[in-house]
Amino acid sequence: MTPALLGNLGVSLALAFSLLGLALSLLAYLQGDGRFLKGARALVPLAVLGAVAAFIALEWALLTHDFSLAYVARNHSLQDPLWVTLVTPWAALEGSILLWGLLQTLYTLLASRKPLDPWRASLVLAVLFGIQVFFFGVMATIASPFATLPNPPADGTGPNPLLQNHWMMAVHPVLMYLGFVGLSVPYAYAVAAMATRSYQTWVEETRWWTLIAWGFLTSGKVAGMWWSYEVLGWGGYWAWDPVENASFIPWLLATAFLHTAYVQQTRGAFKTWNFAFVTLAFAATVLGTFLTRSGIIQSVHAFAEGPVGPAFLGFFLFATALGLGLLSRVSREVRDVALFHPFSREGALLLGAFFFSGWALVVVLGTFYPLLVEAFSGAKVSVGAPFFNQVSAPIGVGILLLMGVGPLLPWRRPRREILRNLYLLLSALLLGTLLALLRGYTLGASLAVGLFLYNTLAVGLLFAEGMRARRMAGLSPLSFMENRKRVGSLIVHFAVALMALGIAFSQTYRLEVEKTLYRGQAWEVAGVRMAFQGVRALDEGRRFAVEALLSTDRFGEVRPRLHFYPQMQSPLPAPRVIYTPGNDYYFLLMDFDREKGEWASLRLIVTPMVLWIWVAGGLMALGTLYILWPASRREETRGVSPA
Amino acid sequence: MRGKYLLGILVILGALAYMIFGGLGQNLVYFLTPSEYLQAQDKYQNRPVRLGGLVKEGTVQYDKDRLELRFVLTDGVAEVPVLHKGTPPGMFKEGQGVVVEGRFREGVFQGGNLLVKHSETYQPPKEGWTPEEVRKLIEEAK
Repeated sequence: MTPALLGNLGVSLALAFSLLGLALSLLAYLQGDGRFLKGARALVPLAVLGAVAAFIALEWALLTHDFSLAYVARNHSLQDPLWVTLVTPWAALEGSILLWGLLQTLYTLLASRKPLDPWRASLVLAVLFGIQVFFFGVMATIASPFATLPNPPADGTGPNPLLQNHWMMAVHPVLMYLGFVGLSVPYAYAVAAMATRSYQTWVEETRWWTLIAWGFLTSGKVAGMWWSYEVLGWGGYWAWDPVENASFIPWLLATAFLHTAYVQQTRGAFKTWNFAFVTLAFAATVLGTFLTRSGIIQSVHAFAEGPVGPAFLGFFLFATALGLGLLSRVSREVRDVALFHPFSREGALLLGAFFFSGWALVVVLGTFYPLLVEAFSGAKVSVGAPFFNQVSAPIGVGILLLMGVGPLLPWRRPRREILRNLYLLLSALLLGTLLALLRGYTLGASLAVGLFLYNTLAVGLLFAEGMRARRMAGLSPLSFMENRKRVGSLIVHFAVALMALGIAFSQTYRLEVEKTLYRGQAWEVAGVRMAFQGVRALDEGRRFAVEALLSTDRFGEVRPRLHFYPQMQSPLPAPRVIYTPGNDYYFLLMDFDREKGEWASLRLIVTPMVLWIWVAGGLMALGTLYILWPASRREETRGVSPA
Repeated sequence: MRGKYLLGILVILGALAYMIFGGLGQNLVYFLTPSEYLQAQDKYQNRPVRLGGLVKEGTVQYDKDRLELRFVLTDGVAEVPVLHKGTPPGMFKEGQGVVVEGRFREGVFQGGNLLVKHSETYQPPKEGWTPEEVRKLIEEAK
């Protein structure tokens, strides 16, 4: 037995069981025969086994340095530390598809264990098996992780050094894929719901899935931003790079879906919107992979070079056509039961969903526009960050305004009692903005301060209201914390307001200075006094590091580095970031005297409030976890709680 | 039902109009060779462009104390003087393909972002290359 043999066997088995499962579940639906469904269900764990075997085979090949596999030869080297080797399966295309396929089989396994009526159960399984057929089909044909080389090299090049420079890279892709794959379950339920004309219950049945997927997507994005900040050495966390946009688009659509799904769960409304949003959110995950993996970003012409791009494009079109095609067929029959006033909670949620999906549309257009220009006129253009910032700022303000007021609005129509709260919120917004303006901040940053106060007050008011309702019902006010959905979503909302504040300040105020220092020379800038003590070289086996020794008055000794990897011709900067509640101090070694180590060119980037972006990201994950945390029995029996 | 579709279309049209008036056109950054740039200077005056070409031999001057890098960017036919504030990137050298993002000021192209174009198949260009060949070389390198 070799890794290649085991891997190919695993992929083939997973593909065969998925194909068979797809056929059986379709038969079960068409014939209305429970035996076929039973058979299809029995195949789910077998497909998992195939996927697990293939994944183990890839790890095995990497751990035993089996360079006869093309994937290992291209992405692994004898020098790699153990943790890098273990995460190498998702360092490149083929392994990422394998990870995706493995997670898909696991999610299918979990989803198939939920009790459901046989018609919908067959269709849900059919859709999930269909997705598995796509991924394992791609692995079996055009992007095999187990393709072998006729002349294996003695050592490989190792994964892209950028991926080895920070442990976050081990985490970020897995979180993203867990999120992407998680959206496949609500999508499958939605397709089944549309085909069987049972339009209401699917959002309730998949609400955990939606939340889990959203939580993973959010943590994955924040992890990616952090990685970009700590590794790429440009002192930023978001560049509106097409790869970033590709994973931002599904997040935006999933967020829109999360909010309209809440309305359908509680009020039975927005059924059509939910079908549309879940289809688009799932399709966007495939589109994102197409964008990042087909090479179309570099040039439209790269698209035709590999078969992976067209395969993903085809899958994207099929998934979209299936969801929206069914929707157009049934939209005549769907009736939203509730009528609502635009100035109600439903109204705010729908408007919020429009903001999120409109934002997604803008990002899609901005990302694809250069491709259109190149395809039609041949000119090479790129859409700069200023465009995205310009269009995103007003959308963000709209969302932040809705986020504060929306949860305070009653369902169906506005009531007079909320006027007091609205006045309070408006005063917080104006007061915060004016005070910040008076302190000399820019309009944008001041507005962010106002919006942060406004949203913090809104969250406070909602907590107070919830606790009062508990007391009126003769319960302890603290029992409001058991209303996990409400409390968790308030935590997330507060975190979003905090993140917006961090983004506004870090984007507005940023100081970047650069200077060449000679040994012993001191430099005082941005409130930091530093002296350059010389450079030191370190041989770390897989790489060679050069660090500048800086003694500073505030942070002790700081050692920014340059890493030289044998497979890269230019060194990678490894910044030293010092987080403080106010500012981040980001030290970079740019260049140094290679002969005597007498001088070094250093860059210092001082950015305010970046720390709070990461804190907010953690809070968003915690808030989601708070909602998902299994409720105590007492709470479950009590049922829907007041406020 | 028709109302819903109408609303959807309105939202999409609104977003599109916003994009266009929001200045997608103004924020496009064109990728040009020095020849293309010099042929239509007025069009690109005072807006950022990405200028791609080769670092001309014998023109590189780097002052590490002022952190100023000066060189001439060429595509074989036309030449543009470039001033880059900051250290030269790792693989910057004469004859190398580079892309500079910036704008023209007082007869010098002032670049903020300097990228060295390199790929495994990159070969230094030969004498007498046309701007099209230079452009292709730089576009294909990552």
